[in-house]
Amino acid sequence: MAVGSSVLPTPVLQTAPPVGDWVALAPVLLLGLTALVLFVIDSIDPDDASGGGALAGTAAVGTLLALVAAIALLVAGIGQGQGGALRLYGDQLVVDGMALFFTVIFTSVATLVIVASYDYLRDRVYQAEYYVLMLLATTGMALMASAGSLATVFISLELASLPSYALVAFLKDNRGSVEAGIKYFLIGALSSAIFAYGISLVYGATGQLGLEAIARSLSGGTQLVGILGVGVLMVAGGFAFKTASVPFHFWAPEAYEGAPAPVSAFLSSASKAAGFAVAIRVFAVAFSPQAVVASVDWTLAFWLLAAVTMTLGNFAAATQDKVKRMLAYSSVGHAGYVLIGLAALNSGQNGLVLGASMIHLLVYGFMNTGAFLFIALAEYWEVGRTFEDYNGLGTQAPIACVAMSVFMFSLAGLPIGGGFMSKYFILVGAVGTGHFLLAALLLINSALSLYYYSRVVRSLWFEEPADSLDIEGYPFGLYGAVVGAAVVTFLLLPGIFLVSDAAISAASALFV
Amino acid sequence: MVATITAFAFEVAPAIAILPLASFVIALFAGKYLPKRGALAGIAATGGSLLLSLWVALTVAGGATYNEEIYSLVTTPNTFDLHFGLLLDPLSALMLVIVSLVSFLVHLFSLGYMNDEGEAGLPRYYAGLGLFSFSMLAFVFADNLFMSFVFFELVGLCSWLLIGHWYREDAPPSAAKKAFLVTRFGDYFFLVGVVAIFATFGTTVFAGPESFPTLAEEALAGSGGAGGGAGGLSTFGFGPGAWFTILGFLVLGGVIGKSAQFPLHTWLPDAMEGPTPVSALIHAATMVAAGVYLVARMYGFYALSPTTLAVIAFVGGFTALFAASMAVVKRDIKQVLAYSTISQYGYMMLGLGAGGYVAAVFHLMTHAFFKALLFLGAGAVIIAMHHRQDMWEMGGLKERLPIPYYAFLSGSLALAGIFPFAGFWSKDEILFEALVHGIGGSPLLLGGYLMGLTAVVFTGFYTFRMVLLTFHGEPRTHTARNPHDLGWSVKTPLAVLGILAATAGFVNMVPVGTILGLERIELLHGWLDHGISGLTVEHYGELTHDFAGYTTGALAGSEVLTVLLSAGISLALALAGAGLAWMLYSGPNPEAHTERLGDVRTLLMNNYYQDEYQVWIAETFGTGVARLSDRFDQSIVDGAVNGVSEVSLLSGDRIRRIQTGIVSNYATLLTLGLVVLLLTVGLAGGWFL
Repeated sequence: MAVGSSVLPTPVLQTAPPVGDWVALAPVLLLGLTALVLFVIDSIDPDDASGGGALAGTAAVGTLLALVAAIALLVAGIGQGQGGALRLYGDQLVVDGMALFFTVIFTSVATLVIVASYDYLRDRVYQAEYYVLMLLATTGMALMASAGSLATVFISLELASLPSYALVAFLKDNRGSVEAGIKYFLIGALSSAIFAYGISLVYGATGQLGLEAIARSLSGGTQLVGILGVGVLMVAGGFAFKTASVPFHFWAPEAYEGAPAPVSAFLSSASKAAGFAVAIRVFAVAFSPQAVVASVDWTLAFWLLAAVTMTLGNFAAATQDKVKRMLAYSSVGHAGYVLIGLAALNSGQNGLVLGASMIHLLVYGFMNTGAFLFIALAEYWEVGRTFEDYNGLGTQAPIACVAMSVFMFSLAGLPIGGGFMSKYFILVGAVGTGHFLLAALLLINSALSLYYYSRVVRSLWFEEPADSLDIEGYPFGLYGAVVGAAVVTFLLLPGIFLVSDAAISAASALFV
Repeated sequence: MVATITAFAFEVAPAIAILPLASFVIALFAGKYLPKRGALAGIAATGGSLLLSLWVALTVAGGATYNEEIYSLVTTPNTFDLHFGLLLDPLSALMLVIVSLVSFLVHLFSLGYMNDEGEAGLPRYYAGLGLFSFSMLAFVFADNLFMSFVFFELVGLCSWLLIGHWYREDAPPSAAKKAFLVTRFGDYFFLVGVVAIFATFGTTVFAGPESFPTLAEEALAGSGGAGGGAGGLSTFGFGPGAWFTILGFLVLGGVIGKSAQFPLHTWLPDAMEGPTPVSALIHAATMVAAGVYLVARMYGFYALSPTTLAVIAFVGGFTALFAASMAVVKRDIKQVLAYSTISQYGYMMLGLGAGGYVAAVFHLMTHAFFKALLFLGAGAVIIAMHHRQDMWEMGGLKERLPIPYYAFLSGSLALAGIFPFAGFWSKDEILFEALVHGIGGSPLLLGGYLMGLTAVVFTGFYTFRMVLLTFHGEPRTHTARNPHDLGWSVKTPLAVLGILAATAGFVNMVPVGTILGLERIELLHGWLDHGISGLTVEHYGELTHDFAGYTTGALAGSEVLTVLLSAGISLALALAGAGLAWMLYSGPNPEAHTERLGDVRTLLMNNYYQDEYQVWIAETFGTGVARLSDRFDQSIVDGAVNGVSEVSLLSGDRIRRIQTGIVSNYATLLTLGLVVLLLTVGLAGGWFL
């Protein structure tokens, strides 16, 4: 990392990429194409009740193909390495290790959620719309990870957000779902406004929208520090909304609780990761710390956000009675952990701290999705929403409950799943860069989180079931998704090194 | 061609441990459906391990060694790494053969002891044996202290599982808990030691130029009068010598717990509550050996510290004597063997502390054979006696159980150290090493020597008291007159071990070698003197000489005379002890002569009130500390957590109040939050100046 030079080296623009545009963008294109195919299927056979299998199958195959494509591009080394990023369409899109890494997260989560939705949506109407919205949102997320200018950032963010609003309100006859959708939409609109205003201020200060162009413009210093500063923080606010960080988190508990559980899983895992993907790219590339931090100390802003977010999220999670709402707040808390990666930038170990955040998001993608899908399973069985309602489920559905225990312990950071290693990486990054207070907060909050996560495990295994507890059926899709997520969560404990190198080198490559 | 074959033996070496692991899995999940409930899988697996171990040993005999990392858990640049690896050298190859052989025979014996007796929970039992064999074998070939620790703990876990096998009765679960807790107490120190060694050397590898014994040696050799840090190593404010001694003591904590040395020996007699084959496998031949083996494994490190060596020798000598005296009065055949086990491991520690590395390993080997034999013999007797263990209810079993009798006799002669049985050679060598180093300038070792020598008398006495009471004289009960029949699976292991107990000593006949001038017949010495440089007997000899000042002395200046005297004295004392037992107990109806000891007997029966004072310590200090930590836990930790939850209940309430459900409130708070953020960062960045 060439830290400290006042003039950033001009990136080598690749006029002829080693692979065609469509190859580099294959995951995004596959996702978009699948959405269109779903439209076609729905037009041919609009009868939802019979078409569930075909729709879910097509959607799952589409996301799976995108996942395979992203992994293949990662393994092939496309766009990776220092200065190896592929810049497409006049720098509007960038395909590099980080974009592909995040695409893997989005598509994995989407696949799990779609497989699980097959059972969840059985006998509901508007199934095609559900899958199309999900595919479009995933497409938006994949584009967010690849966005190369503030314009594409904004558009892709909206492409991911708008379907999400509709998805939250998917249960049209359920008051909670609709109310949550409205709230999510209103807060989202406010945040988008703040975000767009921030972009305009940044444009005013630099005259550029392209991320690298902004960096070049800022490397010479700017007279308009105040304008730039307000703009940068407002842009940060836009990302804080997407990642459900305090104080932009208000929508999250309500949306996650009101939405159908698979949608909650999708939003709290993939959508959060997408927010971080784009935040990492914008702040690491455009507002690169060594050029900007002296006048606009956004690491301080993220430091504050991280501290408040993880504390508030965990404290609130500890007091909840409903498991789903607890998970919603815990999801806020985890956003705080990941924010440490941004707060610890400009301390000389950028690759490590950002890589740690990315690893945590990957692991979180599986363990949190799995946890919400277990909730979906519980909703499917209609056992109720509170901790007490889960009492003794372990006697009825041992496999799913083992999986849920893996998720809970991994979320808490016990060495039963990859969550232990990823949290360990974050801790090492925080300590290694001298952010001891954040490290201490991370530990305290993790300890607290163990309390409410283990409550779930205790309910599942150690409490006597209520007499009325009776579950019907073991839906194949939901079970498969939950167990699959558990297996990956567990395997990421010994196998973390398969992904950690990719994440850290992808993060390092951002800092030319 | 030869090279590829040798490489292959090492390539498959992990299977030595993995085979029993497979049998563990099979017994655990499919044991219910198998004809022998997992026994056959265990026998096949440990048999395979035995063959592979022999193959590895042959390969090592050919001069090859192996020291490789096979699986990396955590790699952090410039600090340390945690990995699993294989170290196959003469010592580990020898131990692999011993462990897999004893394990194999114990599995075989279990067919007779457990299956034929219709015991319950057999799959659990065989799963435990398999897991134990796996852990112990992996412990033996570990190439670093971290891996050793992991498997050391697994061994402890298996011990807990197996001692508490009959968990529905009262005593076994309590004994299992005691074994677990007492060894755990030692393991705390061990764990701290492992971490401290990581912090000091950045590695815990046993062998090679980057290993911690080598680094320590270089630091000590290079430091001279420099004091403080040595050779780039951080010694935390101590001189390197003092710090290495502290490290040695910390690891020794685990050793003392696991090898049942004073004062942490109290768990072992209780552990006899487990099934007898388990006692043979775990509490005699292998698990207890883990502690001693660990000292031998890192002997290059201990040899650097004269203080640690002296403590090891003293603790060993004292334990040998102390445990032997308690064995004298026991009525239960397994209790006698339990105390004799503690006593014999004391000898090994004495040997290691006295600079007798070969002697200690030699005794480790012979003891594994004859103690496994004695326990299995006792097991055979217990089967025959319909699970009665009191020796005063036996008697006269000689005619009725000839094969167990002769095997048991062979083991007893070895235990008592009677020429020419295995124990004679190895025990004599330990005492010899203590003697020559004691008179060669380390008089402290003479104390250990004298205690060891005194213990020989006790050993001879209690061994033959046990043999005479059990097998000789007239049967004293109806059961003893009509013992239960024994199957082949009981007799075969006894026969194999009986032969080994009689002959294993011939691999290292030091007295004969010295007198006749035939160094070549000291086969074990030669065996342990090749292999990886830095792990050889010769190197250890140099280290103890250079750093601990051990030099070899001789009585009246004659080495031959010293050897003869040493061997003669210990043999004479052993015979004296045995003879005394013969005098007292040889008649058809022996009397309980130990009654005459009066108060002494009470003291000995109560094991010097060891348990009582440890319970007292545990209750006074332990409960005190526990109460303190409970208060700490209740008020500070729980207080913090409760406080946190109260705060969070409160703030959760606040948050709930914040989370009003009204969107316009959210929008206000969101905007206010952003403003606060802007002001903070703006003030920090000086925008408003």
